[in-house]
Amino acid sequence: MSKAVLSISGLHASVEGKEILKGVDLQVAQGEIHALMGPNGSGKSTLAYTLMGHPKYMVTGGSVSFDGHDLLPLTADARARLGLFLCFQYPTAIPGVSTVNFLRAALRAQEKEMPAREFLNRLSTEMKELKIDESFRSRYINDGFSGGEKKRMEILQLAMLRPKLAILDETDSGLDVDALRTVADGVMRLCGPDMGVLVITHYPRILEHLHPDRVHVLHDGRVVTSGGADLARQIEREGYEPILGTAAAATA
Amino acid sequence: MTIPLADSPVGTLGQEVAAARADASPAWLAARRRIAWDAYEALPMPSSQRDEDWRRTDISALHPERFTPIDRVDAAVVDAMRVQRDAAAPTAAFVIDAPVAQPIEGADTLHAQGIIVTTLAEAATVHAELVQRAFSSVRADESKFVALWNALWRGGVFVYVPRGVEALVPVWIAHPAGGDGHAVFPSTVVVLDEGAALTVIDAYASASGPAALLSDAMVILSVGRDARLDYNTVQQWGEGVWHVGLQRTVLDANAKLRFMGVTLGARLQKVWWEVLLEGVGSEADILGICFGDGTQHFDHQSLQAHIGPETRSNLLLKVAVRDRARSVYGGMIDVAPTAVHADGYVANRNLLLSQGAKADSIPRLEIRANDVKCGHGATAGHVDADQRFYLMARGVPPEEASALIVRGFMDDVLDRIPHRGFAELAGTLLDAEIAGGSVTGVAAETS
Ligand SMILES: Nc1ncnc2c1ncn2[C@@H]1O[C@H](COP(=O)(O)OP(=O)(O)OP(=O)(O)O)[C@@H](O)[C@H]1O
Ligand SMILES: [Mg+2]
Repeated sequence: MSKAVLSISGLHASVEGKEILKGVDLQVAQGEIHALMGPNGSGKSTLAYTLMGHPKYMVTGGSVSFDGHDLLPLTADARARLGLFLCFQYPTAIPGVSTVNFLRAALRAQEKEMPAREFLNRLSTEMKELKIDESFRSRYINDGFSGGEKKRMEILQLAMLRPKLAILDETDSGLDVDALRTVADGVMRLCGPDMGVLVITHYPRILEHLHPDRVHVLHDGRVVTSGGADLARQIEREGYEPILGTAAAATA
Repeated sequence: MTIPLADSPVGTLGQEVAAARADASPAWLAARRRIAWDAYEALPMPSSQRDEDWRRTDISALHPERFTPIDRVDAAVVDAMRVQRDAAAPTAAFVIDAPVAQPIEGADTLHAQGIIVTTLAEAATVHAELVQRAFSSVRADESKFVALWNALWRGGVFVYVPRGVEALVPVWIAHPAGGDGHAVFPSTVVVLDEGAALTVIDAYASASGPAALLSDAMVILSVGRDARLDYNTVQQWGEGVWHVGLQRTVLDANAKLRFMGVTLGARLQKVWWEVLLEGVGSEADILGICFGDGTQHFDHQSLQAHIGPETRSNLLLKVAVRDRARSVYGGMIDVAPTAVHADGYVANRNLLLSQGAKADSIPRLEIRANDVKCGHGATAGHVDADQRFYLMARGVPPEEASALIVRGFMDDVLDRIPHRGFAELAGTLLDAEIAGGSVTGVAAETS
């Protein structure tokens, strides 16, 4: 395994006084694709937000290093500038801020600014790839977007910002079959030696497109088991019961 | 087109000044001025203790009698205002509201169309009937400040667009003020005849800085049958200015008003935005943005008076206040029994950028007709933490994220303004306010 771009060890985090992450250990090597699965409420989104630095999530123990930096003391914007990206499960609407202005501000902040013409060309190309209508450029970010449109807009941002690691939090939920393919193709096009992915999902379908190197299962705030792509298929067939049963037995 | 005006008598606002103003006016106006002055003297100063209308706006520190009527034009302020015109509406005629008439710039196109652009003082003599018609919507003695304006205004700007004429270029009206301890009485009167169309930009400015000035302003807009008026106004007084103003529009049948107010400056402002939808099918879209910081105090009062049947009005005022700035808003939709099928909406949205900033909002409906559609909404809140986090998660630093959100909050309004040049000017001024501490007024070298 090559060098880990993300290394989480013993991560504890709580929200509003309630401990949700209870010692997460997880490593993602440079350029790899990992899947994170687990039942509802197991803490997947909490992990994603905690990694991104949401102020509501309090880290109470453990460490996270990202691309050689200690991630935890940094604010969200600094983490993003290091090359961490989160595709939100529920992207936030910001009325009044157009998609174009938003992307410009983000690129400028990340020192990835480009000349206006090049920017617009690239935006056009990426929007075509993702089958996003041109009119979305001037629309306010996520304002009145359908669920699927929001997800595609997240991938568009990913494509424009080219991070080192993208966390996709249920980006596949709420997408129709064609949209799922478009989004998966988009992610596949972007990932490679320079960009790894941690994909949070409930469904093996997106994994059939992404071919993850590793699959992890989170349960009650801990990674209880990890395996290859087969693990996702097993979960689809048999549910979490058998895995969590053995995991629970192993910890007991 | 300019006419000489009588020399201004020196002295603070008082009987002598008022008498001199009346003496210099045509008979009909002189009579009105005398009634107004008597009313001004008889009426008490509005009090936050006694007057419900002024309950949240305290002007006990304002003493109008200590101010001297301005008698000259501040060239530096005018230059700064002209620069804004050049950028936002280069083709617009530029008219200066001054005690001594100034040359009108770039009005050839309008004059060739038969449009009258002149001082209100001249119009009161030469086009008395038109001015009287406009003045008929404002009683000379209807309030302390309206009476004071009626008694003492001079100069002013008057625009008349004849029947069926659509103005080819906008009119940019500059109301400058300068010096310290001066009173100004900014005056705009616009009359659109049947089927006419016009865009107006009405700008108030003084140099930034603490100079104490009193601005008692009047805007009378009369929009004829089937006429369309696009009226945009920006208030950029310096930090020491008291600004009180009435802006009243009367709409005839099927007339359309698009109103945009940008409020940035002054120490304290209290304005009334009033639209009387008298004619059947008349419509008014009223938008406003206001940004305040330091200890600025803003008070906007709006009235959407539905009088004719099938009338429609919509008002949206967005306010952002920072530091210890305060906003007061009172909005009234009044539907007369004659206004069947009226459709009116009023909304005030407030963004509080500091713990010490405050916004009060009281929209009201008074419905005396059947079969109408009316509503109101008011909100106040802080910058949304999720929106901020979303921007930060894309690398945008926290201060810039907040600035983007504030700008976005306002852009929702600016994006609806038909005159794009004005929208851009408003955006630029707003960015400076958001970024720059508590500086208001124009960047003018005081002379
Ligand atoms: N802001 C919050 N306030 C209170 N509890 C929270 C908050 N955020 C998360 N939780 C709780 O933390 C637990 C984990 O939530 P999280 O959203 O991380 O789960 P998840 O694994 O992403 O679930 P899903 O598959 O449904 O998306 C849940 O019990 C949830 O109710
Ligand atoms: Mg989740």
